Amino acid sequence: MLLSKKTMMGVGSAGLIAALAMHSGIAMAQDAQMRGNIRVVIGSTSTGGDTYQNASIVVDRLAEHLGLNMKVDAVGASSAFRTLDRDSRGNTLMIFHDQSYLGHLYGVQGYDDIFEKYTIGPTIAINPGNAYLVAKDSPYETLDDIIEAVGNGETVRVAIQPGGVSEIGFSALKNAIAIEHPGQEDNLVAVNTGSQSDKNQQLFDGQADVINGSVQANEQYTRLPEDDQKAMRFVWLTARQGTIEQALEEGLGQTTREQLLEYVEPNVDVTMGEDENFTFDKEFFFLYNKEMDQGIVDQIDEALAAIYDEGSIQEAQLNAFFIPDFNPSEEASEYLQEKMTRYEEIISNIN
Amino acid sequence: MESGLFSVSIDFETSHLFFPTIIHWILGGLFALILITKVAPFMVAVKRGERTLPIIGESRDNFRFFGTFALIAAYFYLMAVVGDLFPYTGYGFLFVSIAFVLLMSLLYLHEWTKKALVIVVINAVVAPTLAWFVLAKLFTITLP
Amino acid sequence: MEFLSVLDFTFFLLVGFGTLVGIIFGAIPGMTATMAVAVCLPLTYALGLNHGLALLLGLYVGGISGGMVPAVLLNIPGTPSSITTTFDGYPMARKGEGEKALRICVIASVIGGLISAAVLFLFAPLLADFSIKFSYVEKFLIILLALSVIASLSNSMLIGIFSGVIGVWLSLIGDYSISDGGNGHTRLMFDFMEPYLFEGFSLLPVLIGIFGISTILLEAEKGVKRDVAGQRIKIGKEGGFSLSIFKGSLTNLTRSSFIGTFVGMLPGVGGSAASVLAYTQEKNLARNSSQMGKGAPQGLIASESANNALTGGALIPLLSLGIPGDATTAVLIGAFTLQGIQVGPLFIPENHETWYVMMTALVLANFVMFFLMFFAIKYIAKVVMVPKHILYPIIVMMCVVGAYAINYGIMFDVWTLLIFGVLGYLIQKIGLEIAPLIIGFILGSQAEVYFVKSLESFGTYSVFFTKSPIAMVLWGLIAASVVFAIIMGIRSRARQKMELSQASGPHTVSGKHHGSNND
Repeated sequence: MLLSKKTMMGVGSAGLIAALAMHSGIAMAQDAQMRGNIRVVIGSTSTGGDTYQNASIVVDRLAEHLGLNMKVDAVGASSAFRTLDRDSRGNTLMIFHDQSYLGHLYGVQGYDDIFEKYTIGPTIAINPGNAYLVAKDSPYETLDDIIEAVGNGETVRVAIQPGGVSEIGFSALKNAIAIEHPGQEDNLVAVNTGSQSDKNQQLFDGQADVINGSVQANEQYTRLPEDDQKAMRFVWLTARQGTIEQALEEGLGQTTREQLLEYVEPNVDVTMGEDENFTFDKEFFFLYNKEMDQGIVDQIDEALAAIYDEGSIQEAQLNAFFIPDFNPSEEASEYLQEKMTRYEEIISNIN
Repeated sequence: MESGLFSVSIDFETSHLFFPTIIHWILGGLFALILITKVAPFMVAVKRGERTLPIIGESRDNFRFFGTFALIAAYFYLMAVVGDLFPYTGYGFLFVSIAFVLLMSLLYLHEWTKKALVIVVINAVVAPTLAWFVLAKLFTITLP
Repeated sequence: MEFLSVLDFTFFLLVGFGTLVGIIFGAIPGMTATMAVAVCLPLTYALGLNHGLALLLGLYVGGISGGMVPAVLLNIPGTPSSITTTFDGYPMARKGEGEKALRICVIASVIGGLISAAVLFLFAPLLADFSIKFSYVEKFLIILLALSVIASLSNSMLIGIFSGVIGVWLSLIGDYSISDGGNGHTRLMFDFMEPYLFEGFSLLPVLIGIFGISTILLEAEKGVKRDVAGQRIKIGKEGGFSLSIFKGSLTNLTRSSFIGTFVGMLPGVGGSAASVLAYTQEKNLARNSSQMGKGAPQGLIASESANNALTGGALIPLLSLGIPGDATTAVLIGAFTLQGIQVGPLFIPENHETWYVMMTALVLANFVMFFLMFFAIKYIAKVVMVPKHILYPIIVMMCVVGAYAINYGIMFDVWTLLIFGVLGYLIQKIGLEIAPLIIGFILGSQAEVYFVKSLESFGTYSVFFTKSPIAMVLWGLIAASVVFAIIMGIRSRARQKMELSQASGPHTVSGKHHGSNND
């Protein structure tokens, strides 16, 4: 009896496997699926940066869920777009953030309209850290002080990296000054510089009054004593209030969420006109080759939905000071397009 | 800001050409100097038959030189082509490398003895496979 | 001491393993320390921070040191920072003194590494405060000082400078990168090249192309004679190595180690500039530097102690400003962020344990490197005995892997190998000089950024002279370097004239690479 039971189970499970195989066979006939080794290129060349970190959190889980080999390669924006252009089979995917369309809005060479040229995949996370800082002994206490000062004809220099995420806050600020103090906005001057270290250096050298930075990179600087020439102070986080509210209560380093909330709207107010405040969340999302099969788009959407439902990914993201932000590809595309339109207005206003 | 003799203002939109322009002038100046002081006397010497032109006037093992060049070019080209058939597995690198190492070894081998050939063949199979296994498999480096 | 509890057996094992793997990566032409750290980065997830750092620091030290091997034996710098090691190392290997050269390198390396580790441990926060006194202006002058080596490095000053400027020109191809604060426009190319050359040529493929592939082309041209790469190797006692070589080199050793540490700690300057600068200074300041570039141990000492001193130096801004000092530490920063640890000005005070762990790993890695290398040299040096028809295809293959992998998989980087291989071949044929060209290439794009940004900030050329006392000191050094080069040039010309009257035939520019060139 025992034997036959075993046999029965064997037959049963074999049947089950066969049924599953049939099922997946049918699914494959309907829609293309990812197969083989998958390479996820990112728009940054740094393996220590937020894009890589985000991509690896998501891709590791995606690979496990789908049972595929997936690898994140930090090839940089220009190469990533080119690699993606060449492969429509779904073996190459890309992860990048708002820079991908902001670069286009700012007319940076090498950036095309992503909504036209690519399929937008799901959003995965937000880095809420985009910040503006002043030296700790700066006469400007708040962003309002800066807006006032510029409105009164003072020149304020802001160190940014031109043509994207680092510039958008500056543009919005300039736009706000143009609205509140028309004609004075040109007193807000961009100091075009490169990496975070270059921006910090401009502040130490007195070549800039305000710098773009991030909570992650600059938090420790804000905790230095005032007599340290490296000491800085946050004046503005561009993230939405609702975004920061989702962060862990401990915040980052020794700056708590509550402290961070002091620097976001509505406490800091950068108007876009018509009672609307400017905010900017740096969002990470997938980009696909336009010709890639819809089946793969759905496959990734479904897999990510399952992963986010399961819930452990959120923990990993929050621990790394990222805000989980999953939207399936169609919603993401609409949302990001709308986001771009708003920033497009700002940029065209001030030019 | 100081003004006067040394003052300069750089337009951000064209700032990518500022430094290259300076370099072009320096290059041009140096080139002219070299033409006068080095190349002219050299050409005179060539005319008198005391010296020969580089590259053109030299003896060369044409077969091995151009063979090397062609092999490397074909190697790079085919690696990408074959690699594209097996996306991101590194097989393009593996297969084409085996062929390349084999052919280049044969190109450079002067005396085709049996023993030498065996070593060449073993090397051509083992070296790329080892490199592929360690790098692509163990360290998951993306290879063509 | 609390941190001692972290130092378990696994810790030591990982440092040793990391160093070994690092040496292997560094020693394979085309593979670099940066790559070693990058590929092992994901492993640190599983290992945890302290064990992860043990592994990565081992890789870092091992990788930088391993670069000396191909530099000396094959004339291919294993890592960009060992370029100056080729200048004297390869001539020595040609004379059959490869083993001796490597031993000198290993000792110089370990001393450089330990000095910089000590400096890091004792003065990190202090030095970080000093390093931020270096703005664009001072950084430009440092680059200029390193570039001034070109004048004294070349056989003919005019040709040397011309080659150097060509190198600078080549480095400018591509976009004026936004990530350096540029406007992102491309220049010096046609539109059709843009898909490939948008970011310009990358350093490592250029380096291994111009050294590695061009050497193979030159050999192929001569028919790849059956001899092995080094004529005859002197091994063991015959190698003529004894510690007495270091007699009189104490100043050189100390100076170069400090230069390496210091340059490493300047964000954005670090890397290859360190060994170049140390080499220049030895050339300028040594009592007798006439043999440098022809196989002088002092050149090796300067180059290798400086490039290993880089390790400690580059960690200074990383750990006390949160800013990586070179390419490898930029990858290393990932280990911290992946573990959720912030690096910044408060890192050391807030993470005592990690800080001590890192110091221990760094010092340990230097010792492990020393023992591994010193005793393995005998065998490593025999690489040159491998027949060329076996060795060369493998070198090409490994160069391909290195070039392809350095930017995480870009096929154009592989083509760069061939482009610069051919270019390197042509350059040597028409009598231009490789070393100045490559130094120009390495430093060119940084020179541009710092030069243009200084002018954008200050709006006047005079700022280069008046910015700060540091700037004036640097100008003094640059002037000294140039004056020295001129004196050296006059002297060597006089000597050449004497030789010329004895044996006629003009000197060739890179005779050390191929004696048969047009003379």
